[in-house]
Amino acid sequence: MEFKQVIGSRRSIRYFEPNRPVEDEKIQVMLEAANRSSRSINADYIKAVVVLRDELEPGVLEQLKTPTTQVSTDLAPVYIFFYGDMSYGDRAQESLKELVDVGAINASHGWSHAYVDEVVYAQVLRPLLSDPTVAGWMCTVECGLAINQAMLAGVDEGLGVCLHAFNIPLAKEVLKVPDHWIPMWMLLVGYPAESPDAGGQRPRRPLSDHFFRGQYGNPWQEIPEVTERLRREGMIQAPAPLPNRREEIRELARRFGLPE
Amino acid sequence: MSEELDGLAASPTVRRWFESAGYDSDPPEEQEARLALLAAFCQREGKSPDELVAGCLRTTKLGDTAISAKGRTAMQAAIEDFVASTGRAGRDAVVAGNALRGFLIHNGVFIQGPVWTG
Repeated sequence: MEFKQVIGSRRSIRYFEPNRPVEDEKIQVMLEAANRSSRSINADYIKAVVVLRDELEPGVLEQLKTPTTQVSTDLAPVYIFFYGDMSYGDRAQESLKELVDVGAINASHGWSHAYVDEVVYAQVLRPLLSDPTVAGWMCTVECGLAINQAMLAGVDEGLGVCLHAFNIPLAKEVLKVPDHWIPMWMLLVGYPAESPDAGGQRPRRPLSDHFFRGQYGNPWQEIPEVTERLRREGMIQAPAPLPNRREEIRELARRFGLPE
Repeated sequence: MSEELDGLAASPTVRRWFESAGYDSDPPEEQEARLALLAAFCQREGKSPDELVAGCLRTTKLGDTAISAKGRTAMQAAIEDFVASTGRAGRDAVVAGNALRGFLIHNGVFIQGPVWTG
């Protein structure tokens, strides 16, 4: 799928084919996409536990279900529990120097081992990361970047994806994750049982509502030809609700015996 | 439709359920089947439809309406018990339980039940 088409085609899929397994190869593509995401100071923020529903002991699966997640856990064959590793700062000094060594950050921009050791790490990063609020904020932002790449890679592989909150204490007990991992999201993965367009692109306000030129208050002006090109190339798609969406939902609800 | 089901259909929470789910335009026999199911559940629980909804909600200290976790857990158990008592099994059991959950959902109670994947 073309890049813009992938962005435009991503939806939160809520009806999955429950009995169609997802190939490990496709999961690996998603994990590699997360691993390749942009990451400040080249630190290791993102962690994940991939859970294949049908490999879980029935008791453990029941344990993961809550009154608000039962339908998702029954329908999606794969759950990826994403966490942020709050020990990411432990290697920050070394990972920054790695970037100097491989020529990613260079003297032309002021970087050197001495600058990392004596200034960046000692005077900026170490004090910054000792503030749990700042450290947590940074970890969360960086994990968001990685999770998004995993989602888009999933869409590119023909899968449906949907981020979901999860019961943190229950998941910790079942997944046995270390204490320094902080919860992000659970990503549901599977083949869509609903149409992949899931009723159309979700409502979005125009660019001028969110983006500015020069300073706040001066809205970004859309170039109509670009907007039109993005329509042709699939980043902008037909908006929800598409015709017959209500009927589609009803059919799905009846197929799975769900409330209508 | 019986007098009892007519009365049930007129209660505010049932009206809200039918309007929100778009059931008013369904064939009369489907409408009646839903009402009969709810009526049987109400009878077993000894509560009106409005009381069923109220039992899953609570008022916060600030006066807002919130889901009662205890009430919802009790409701899940009551639905499962009721469905089992009717002798339904398999898909029929899932559908009946979720029809009752649908009544609660359209009245603002976030509740989920099993999925039929067979």
